[in-house]
Amino acid sequence: MLRLLGFLLNQGVATSKDYCSPSADSLGLPAFGNQTCIGTSCTQCSTVCPTDAIAVADYPNGGNVSLDLGACIGCGMCIRECPEGTLVANKNPSVARFKREDLILSNVEKSATQDASIQPSIFAKSIACRVVSTGCSACDLEVAACGNSIFDMERYGIHVVASPRFADVLLVTGPVPKAMHDALKSCYEQMAEPRRVIAVGTCAISGGLHKGGYAEANGVEGLLPVDLFIPGCPPHPWSIIDGIRKVMSGSVGRGA
Amino acid sequence: MKLERDSVKLEERIDTLRPLLHQTGNRLGLISSIDGKQLISLLLNTAENRAVCWESPLQTNRYHSLAPVISQAHWFERTLWDMFGLEPENHPRLKHNLLHEAYSIDLIPLLAEEPVSSNGKSREYSPMAVKGDGIYEIPVGPIHAGIIEPGHFRFSCLGEVIFNLEIRLGYVHRGVEKRMCELPWGKMRFLAEAAASDSAAAYALAHSIAVESCFDVAVSYKADFLRTISLEVERIAMHINDLGGMAGDIGFLAISSTMGRLRGVALSMAEQLTGSRLQRGFICPGGVVFDPSEKLPSIKASANWLRKELKPVISFFMSNEVVRDRMENVGKVSPRLAADFGLVGPAGRASDQKYDARHHFVHGVYPRVRVPIAMEVGGDVLSRAKVRIAELESSLFLVEQLIDGLPEGETCIRLPDALPNNASGIGIVESHRGELIHLIFTDSQGQCCRYAIKDASVNNWTGLAIAVRNNLVSDFPLCNKSFGLSYSGHDL
Repeated sequence: MLRLLGFLLNQGVATSKDYCSPSADSLGLPAFGNQTCIGTSCTQCSTVCPTDAIAVADYPNGGNVSLDLGACIGCGMCIRECPEGTLVANKNPSVARFKREDLILSNVEKSATQDASIQPSIFAKSIACRVVSTGCSACDLEVAACGNSIFDMERYGIHVVASPRFADVLLVTGPVPKAMHDALKSCYEQMAEPRRVIAVGTCAISGGLHKGGYAEANGVEGLLPVDLFIPGCPPHPWSIIDGIRKVMSGSVGRGA
Repeated sequence: MKLERDSVKLEERIDTLRPLLHQTGNRLGLISSIDGKQLISLLLNTAENRAVCWESPLQTNRYHSLAPVISQAHWFERTLWDMFGLEPENHPRLKHNLLHEAYSIDLIPLLAEEPVSSNGKSREYSPMAVKGDGIYEIPVGPIHAGIIEPGHFRFSCLGEVIFNLEIRLGYVHRGVEKRMCELPWGKMRFLAEAAASDSAAAYALAHSIAVESCFDVAVSYKADFLRTISLEVERIAMHINDLGGMAGDIGFLAISSTMGRLRGVALSMAEQLTGSRLQRGFICPGGVVFDPSEKLPSIKASANWLRKELKPVISFFMSNEVVRDRMENVGKVSPRLAADFGLVGPAGRASDQKYDARHHFVHGVYPRVRVPIAMEVGGDVLSRAKVRIAELESSLFLVEQLIDGLPEGETCIRLPDALPNNASGIGIVESHRGELIHLIFTDSQGQCCRYAIKDASVNNWTGLAIAVRNNLVSDFPLCNKSFGLSYSGHDL
């Protein structure tokens, strides 16, 4: 017992002190660099995209690239193919957005800031999460990693609970195939108000690679009202923690 | 590797396959169909390292079940019923496996033609009812208490002892195999990885090998090395994860949280190698997407550090009396049943099944490079933990060796724009769970017309149901974790 305690003490502190600091090796989602797109004479990015998340249109003095992070699986192909440097790797893990349309970015039309309409939340100090997995387990592993001693989301007051009855927020991972529709809805119905729903990962947001198939795995929207979208395939643990903290700090359109 | 093809008449199928499958060294890879007009039975010959696909043309949608003579076939035949509407006769316990009440009976996803009318039958599912004084049922799931994929367990118990466990899966069935046939082949790899992301490297590798075997090309030596490093780093991360999970279920939180921290190191090795913690988008048909050579020295240093760091943790874990008591003689699968049901991976090797795909089938540097086969005979939770520990150590050692011996060369060869016509390919990989098979068939236009995936979990879910019999209900989570099964890999 004493030997074990000594061993544990010798391990030191593993917890990461800097908030939102993924390693430099992380590829992450694409973002827009400083370079102008040359327009529809080059559509390499939209051609290689496995989920059709990118569309290129002509625009005065260059091209208008529309990038849907809610459909992006972060494969990095567009970043590698882009000859101009319009698309670059996004090193900022704060990618979660309150509205689905805010995940659709453009290199020329900057979207209006959304912060004005955020209403304060009663979850500011503590929030209990129920995680429902309906997918490939990547997002589950990353949500679980949020609880380990490196990311330690409990220090921000985020807890994972084992029943919807005492949960404040429902974290849904995966594209929600047909066989999970009823289970997910009944889980949501068991939650007391006020309650929130977070779609974790590209599958939960849009169905990702599975969209439109016979299993009707098209994401959470259409089944439940979604309060926050965390894109990524899977999102980095910091992105997930940052997203949950956004819900703790407020939400759009839904009062306390 | 090449997929050999042979054919056998439907009426002679069982008499041909049975003696073959009872020969030592032969095992059943999978049973499926291409478009519903034939049965394909994949036989793996581990003595000669060959894979033979036996094709039996079908006249109707009925055939004689292989399950009464080859127990392992029972699961494949249930899936075949769902996906192709093919009904086995004399199946010992025929019920739906993937598609349940949520789906219409008229939906037969992989059948090429319009299905025959169902006559109003439904996809109702009823678990086996155990009757008797004092027997009660515990239903669990599909949503579980922890952060884990969905599935339904029905325990029939007598007091605290599990009499029977029935596992109902299919909740994460997303229609991956069908979607694979709708994509251009260059984009198939992203879906192959997303089928079960905790084995993303293994899935990407099996897919790539299947496509390369279709084209009949081999990748560069350097790409083989990088792919193997990727596969082994994934094994390291997942074995640490599973051991940590077992410690957590025993209640030894000091070890489970330490394992969580060490898994973080394994994931950062993966991130350095591939740019993704779960190694998404790295291995592709033709090789690997980019050359991570400059990162390799630091990955090697991490592997070395991890090997030293794991030693005391594992020794604390395995020498603890409570831990031994919880694991020893719990969740036993006898070698005979493990052989009958074709258990693979650590779960199979813990029950004395000497089978590691790394010794038989070409993937990465295997089978040229020999890894020791970690074997145990106990078949209990302790044996499965020991196998994982031994593999963890040998994988860490191997990663260092491979980085030291990395050859020069190209990392990716360019493949043609279209798949060859009427071709077939196979990829067999030893994932951290065990044997993973990807099969691809193309039509006369060079479009993929059938893509079949067999995860190790397809074999091993039955193993879990066997293991928990006559065990305490409270030991179930530990048994489950010791198998470390995938729901999404099974359901696809």
